[in-house]
Amino acid sequence: MRIGALRERYPEEARVALTPESAVQLRKLGHNCVVEAGAGSRSGISDDAYRSVGVEVVPDARALIAASDVVVKVRSPEGDEAKSLKDGQTLISFLWPAQNPDLLETFRDKNITAVAMDMVPRISRAQKMDALSSMANIAGYRAIIEAGNQFGRFFTGQVTAAGKVQPAKVLVVGAGVAGLAAIGTAVSLGAIVHAFDVRPEVAEQIESMGANFVFLEFEANQDGAATGGYAAPSSPEFREKQLTKFRALAPEIDIVITTALIPGRPAPKLWLEDMVAMMKPGSVIVDLAAERGGNCDLTVPDQRIVSPNGVVIIGYTDFPSRMAAQASILYSTNIRHMLADLTPNKDGVINHNMEDDVIRGATVTKGGEITYPPPPPRIQAIAPAKPKEKVREPTAEEMRAAEAAAFRKQTTSQVGLLVIGALLLALIGSYVPSEFMAHIVVFALACFIGFSVIWNVSHSLHTPLMAVTNAISGIVVIGALLQIGSGNWLVVILAALSVLVATINIVGGFMVTRRMLAMFQRS
Amino acid sequence: MNLGLVSATYLFAAVLFILSLGGLSGQESAKRAVWYGVVGMVLAGGATILSPDVSSLSLILPVILVGAALGAIVARRVQMTEMPQLVAALHSFVGLAAVFVGFNAHLQLADVAGMNETTRAGLTGFAKVLAQKLADPSGVLVSIMKVEVFLGVFIGAVTFTGSVIAFAKLAGKVDGKAMKLPGGHVLNAGCAIASVILLGFYFQSNDLWPLAAMTILALFIGYHLIMGIGGADMPVVVSMLNSYSGWAAAAIGFTLGNDLLIVTGALVGSSGAILSYIMCQAMNRSFISVILGGFGSTTAPATEIIGEQVAIDADGVAAALNDADSVVIIPGYGMAVAQAQGAVSEVTRKLRSKGKNVRFAIHPVAGRLPGHMNVLLAEAKVPYDIVLEMDEINDDFPETDVAIVIGSNDIVNPAAQEDPNSPISGMPVLECWKAKQVFVSKRGQGTGYSGIENPLFYRDNTRMFYGDAKSSLEKLLRLID
Repeated sequence: MRIGALRERYPEEARVALTPESAVQLRKLGHNCVVEAGAGSRSGISDDAYRSVGVEVVPDARALIAASDVVVKVRSPEGDEAKSLKDGQTLISFLWPAQNPDLLETFRDKNITAVAMDMVPRISRAQKMDALSSMANIAGYRAIIEAGNQFGRFFTGQVTAAGKVQPAKVLVVGAGVAGLAAIGTAVSLGAIVHAFDVRPEVAEQIESMGANFVFLEFEANQDGAATGGYAAPSSPEFREKQLTKFRALAPEIDIVITTALIPGRPAPKLWLEDMVAMMKPGSVIVDLAAERGGNCDLTVPDQRIVSPNGVVIIGYTDFPSRMAAQASILYSTNIRHMLADLTPNKDGVINHNMEDDVIRGATVTKGGEITYPPPPPRIQAIAPAKPKEKVREPTAEEMRAAEAAAFRKQTTSQVGLLVIGALLLALIGSYVPSEFMAHIVVFALACFIGFSVIWNVSHSLHTPLMAVTNAISGIVVIGALLQIGSGNWLVVILAALSVLVATINIVGGFMVTRRMLAMFQRS
Repeated sequence: MNLGLVSATYLFAAVLFILSLGGLSGQESAKRAVWYGVVGMVLAGGATILSPDVSSLSLILPVILVGAALGAIVARRVQMTEMPQLVAALHSFVGLAAVFVGFNAHLQLADVAGMNETTRAGLTGFAKVLAQKLADPSGVLVSIMKVEVFLGVFIGAVTFTGSVIAFAKLAGKVDGKAMKLPGGHVLNAGCAIASVILLGFYFQSNDLWPLAAMTILALFIGYHLIMGIGGADMPVVVSMLNSYSGWAAAAIGFTLGNDLLIVTGALVGSSGAILSYIMCQAMNRSFISVILGGFGSTTAPATEIIGEQVAIDADGVAAALNDADSVVIIPGYGMAVAQAQGAVSEVTRKLRSKGKNVRFAIHPVAGRLPGHMNVLLAEAKVPYDIVLEMDEINDDFPETDVAIVIGSNDIVNPAAQEDPNSPISGMPVLECWKAKQVFVSKRGQGTGYSGIENPLFYRDNTRMFYGDAKSSLEKLLRLID
């Protein structure tokens, strides 16, 4: 098949869906690649770079569409782009089917198979083609860089000859991929980072990135796993608590990154006008949800504005495009993985298997029909979180009481055992001859020694211990030796056999122990 | 050598044995401790042979030499991975010897009883002891001895067949799965009760047949008991048999009136019992339930696992290892089966030379013998100070970049903590899933010895590194730079 990458028409878009690296990989799948002239120029990839790996460069979009079976691009088709596609062609790009019903109808009418990169289900196997995550990762990183650009101070705290510099305090709202990337970047720049998310199960992820989880004491926290790893709208009470918490934080926070999105809805308003007013002049808010209306009241999409009290609010929506070189590499890799899944036999033939959960989920039109929305995937993305049990810290008094109780219990059980043992001994002692009692004494004392000695044996030496005790239990040989002098031939034979096997045991046991212990060495 | 000197030597040997076991508390002192044991054994054996009670040196010496040669050959030839089998096989010898000695005691008792006063006066060795017991007019001493003989033979016989079966299971000659005859525990209990009844007969008569019949029953009990225990419980079984062999020696000691045998038997018996107890604690199971065989049946179905196992190739693992700062390796029985300890050691050495923090996490019941993994890693020259126990390392997993699970399954099963219906619920496990990334080296998608699904393999941060552990690691070795 021929895979063709269109140049992006949208003026602010610098990414490209095919890189020379991904073209090389696609060729291994049996595909040939075509690219429209100038497609990679804004990502720093010249037409010659494409040609050098055997990608054909065609002058314009019309020629490209004519030359390819599969068209890949980044943004969903604009204007008449969709109409210009060939009948029966496959298109792979971001499509946002929920927002673009007209587009789906166009595809249906033109019998186009459309694969939406934004509809790839969030299951482990599909992570390699999850373009939303790879773009969100870039957006999160870039958000911090952008904020740093606007922020007039250091991220990290320093003590210099010219005075002490306070570290910047960063709050990240929404710990999805973008949020976590932002946390990681801010932490590595030296800022103090707080992060919030409505899904309590991400607390661990937040802490693993080095940020403090802003904990909200609230009953019936929602389980994000039930919604495929995304957040769901929260109740008004919850929202109120959340806003109170943010209000308390606002005066001391220097940089706010908001990334809160709910699938299929406008972005929730979480950073209200009064919170902006509480912030220090020179603080920065980067609203990664600007495209869907923004999490901040004041956000204007695609613009940088300054609030009356001097807080910079950034509403850019093209963060991945601002790092086009990196974004193109990641996106083209996602596309390449998608094509690899569509070419299971690596023979250059596309097998659009609608039984496959991932392919089924991402395909929005096929064979003249709209296949969106897909049925729920058979495999759930994330195991449902179990409600955490609250472990109550015992008070000092309770601990003391518990200790005392344990001590009492131990004492009673020990005394009980001693009494039983003494009675038993008395019983035996009163019936059996003293000679036998002497042996019993030896036996009981040896048991005690054995018990107390073995407790100290280190765990790693348990195998040598078994080998040694095994060798020592060959002491039975003495019994056989004492019997071997008997006049009875049967006794002599049995005794000789016993000596034989017991000796094997003794020698074998000790030698093997030596071998094992000789191997233990310190580094 | 007079008898007083022999007794003194016995006492000294007993002290040496105690020091020998006590010395195993540390790796360095253990090397000395073995020599204590060897010297103690040589002294005890030498004193016995030289004592006035023992004659027929011409028979004893060749037998000892042959036995020593055989033992040496076995000890030299055996692979470290075969250690569990070897220990089990050696236990069976002790059991067998105990049975023979017990039967001899019976036969000699009959012999001595048939002698007249003058012949008795000229007896030496064990026969002299018997003559003294027979001289007791009340007959209590003889009765006690009969009980001792009976007990010694019983324990010895159970140890013998039990160890043989344990050996066969560990060596893979018998299917490792728990297997029971119809009747189950009732059968064992019935045999035990029948043995007690036979003891009554033995008491009444001086015949051999109750003893012989009991021996057959005991042999059956040993067989059936161990057949009913699954492969995953073998560490407990081996240490339990170790304990039995000690008790058998102690019982023989009572029969012969020999304190050294009693002391040594008791030492071995109690040490084996404690080891079994430690093992059971590590599995959060009661000793009784292990001995009675198999996992207890659960009432509610275990939580179903959702998700999928994601495979990864050597390149991916190598890349992650190259990026990692701290690595924890969790070996299991699979490493022993694949003989991969050498490759593991090489990988460890290479990673450590790059300044990475590589450590090993050993679960108390990893492998088929207590401390099995430690011995294998030591064989492969992994320094023991980076080999840590479960309690020492479990808290470190959240700070670990990469955890590599090599051929272990149940001991890293998160279901033990999360699923109250899991058969292994409550068993302490290595919490490797808390590491940032987990790689599981495994032959295929099957379940482990216990047959329990492992949700670890389905986690988001887990990647399955399929293939034979040894060849996988060797591939990895070339890719780590």
